[in-house]
Amino acid sequence: MYGKKTPLLAIVVAIIILILLPLIRVPQTWILYLFVFCIYVALANMWNFLAGYCGLISLCQPAFIGLGGYTLAISTWLGWPLYLGVIVGALVAALFAVIISIPVFRLSGIYFAIGTIVLPEILRILFLMWRPVGGALYGKGAGYPVKGATAVSANETYWMALIVGIGSILVMRYVLRSNLGLALATIRDNEGTAASSGVNVFKLKVYFLVISALVTGLAGAVFYISQGFIEPTSAFSVKWTMTLMLATVIGGISIEYGPIVGSVIVVILHFLLARYAGFSMLIQGIILIFIMIAAPKGILGALQKTRTSWSLHKILHSSLKP
Amino acid sequence: MNILADLASTITMGIMLGGLYALVALGLSIVFGVMRLINVAHGDLLLLASYLALTLMTYLGLDPIIGLVIVIPALFFIGFVVQKYLLNRAFTISMEAPLIIAFGISIVLQNVFQILWSPLSRGLTTSYTLKSFSIGALNLPLVYLLDFFVGVIVMIFLHQFLHRTYLGKAINAASQDRRAAHLMGINTKQVYAFAFAIAMAIAAIAGVFVGLTFPFTPQSGVSFLIIAFGVVVLGGLGSIAGTFVGGLVMGLAQTLGGYFLGTNAQMLIAYLIVIVLLATRPQGLFGR
Repeated sequence: MYGKKTPLLAIVVAIIILILLPLIRVPQTWILYLFVFCIYVALANMWNFLAGYCGLISLCQPAFIGLGGYTLAISTWLGWPLYLGVIVGALVAALFAVIISIPVFRLSGIYFAIGTIVLPEILRILFLMWRPVGGALYGKGAGYPVKGATAVSANETYWMALIVGIGSILVMRYVLRSNLGLALATIRDNEGTAASSGVNVFKLKVYFLVISALVTGLAGAVFYISQGFIEPTSAFSVKWTMTLMLATVIGGISIEYGPIVGSVIVVILHFLLARYAGFSMLIQGIILIFIMIAAPKGILGALQKTRTSWSLHKILHSSLKP
Repeated sequence: MNILADLASTITMGIMLGGLYALVALGLSIVFGVMRLINVAHGDLLLLASYLALTLMTYLGLDPIIGLVIVIPALFFIGFVVQKYLLNRAFTISMEAPLIIAFGISIVLQNVFQILWSPLSRGLTTSYTLKSFSIGALNLPLVYLLDFFVGVIVMIFLHQFLHRTYLGKAINAASQDRRAAHLMGINTKQVYAFAFAIAMAIAAIAGVFVGLTFPFTPQSGVSFLIIAFGVVVLGGLGSIAGTFVGGLVMGLAQTLGGYFLGTNAQMLIAYLIVIVLLATRPQGLFGR
């Protein structure tokens, strides 16, 4: 995965197949699964970006998702075109990230998680009390339908999700290999040393939070087009955090392609467990704890480990023999 | 005159609630102080005590306060097991692992509550929960007075425990310098397990009195977690007196917020205090 030439052709072919899938009349359920998969990939990637590479265990991703969704829903009520609503939704999430960066980054490391857990709660209560548009029947606890969402075909939302999912992978790739990524590695290894050698730690962390919020907000907005309806309790729910954390942890936290592998499993898990709605989250929680203890680096981490130990084994053998 | 009396009773209730909130926060403060872990499952573990007391009350007719005889050891045991078999191991994995596991525990508990006790709002309703008493013109709920005194008593006990017993001193030592404590022959892993267990025993008391004071749902855990966190940040870490003051501030903020802005805004005010505090004085009100 690292250093080796990536089989570019295979990836391009896979993407083309993914793009063309809806046109070759595959079953609608496949498209639905793939749609959810793309959204999860984007969400998990952006969490891995913060948690795995910046050491920031963010528990406020639902805030970005909900803000993206709500901005979209409200903008459709204002008569804006759907695509504009999606983009503005992402921008609102990013703006929110800028605003909250002052309180959440004042405290280092461990405090960050708890500082961020407050944010979705605040937004949930605000949106339960606030009715920006619409009459007595809508807003507050009742939520909003996304106007015009029914006119968008499942294929169209799938393509949007595909763009967001692939986009999130490219963003990760680009950022981690840029100067920002280098600075990031130094912060993670030793924040003090990084700061004293001229890395503006605060500014960098804000950049990363904003990038993560932007993509997460985008994914949230696209998700709520397909959902067609948004209300505060599910939009700012801790279930989102659970999903993206599980996807990252199963695949491998701090591993670039971990969330992609993890998302495949989480999507399968969600659809398998959908029948046992009450137990679904319970089982996911147990899996999360179990994986964290048994295989802290997830599936890819375990594979890498066996591969390294295997190659080490071979080297030792060849060096022992004359 | 009437408004004044209303305001006076709101303030008194806020102060008394402060005792309860300090109690809610103590467990979080101990775990953070000793293990540098923000236990995001704190609120849910506290609710576990509320639900256990509810079960004892409905099936055995046990008064929640007498039920503490069972609930405290139960939570102590759970805390010990969680620390010994999950978190101690997680500490050796990475910085993030304990936090992610605590999050997992929180989700598991929330869903266990939902499955076993339904998503409905519950409360520990006893003969004395609805009683009130009067001081002059003020009419106050009896439970709030209980909350306050229990909070104060537990804090005094904890203070004595940490300064007078071997285990208390060992916990103190491990929280100040883990390696030094280890070199002095303290089994730090065991100490961690006991510290978590004691934190959970205090959370058990807090959970029962929370249940007597407020209605609760399976999702209530997070609001108590945030309140506890607010108290800890307000009061600074490691100081029991600071925790008490932090509790008073959060209690007052909540009752006054409810009085002036309506019950909907009660929690909102408490949450906003946490965020504003993080932005302006992350070292706490009394920190340097």
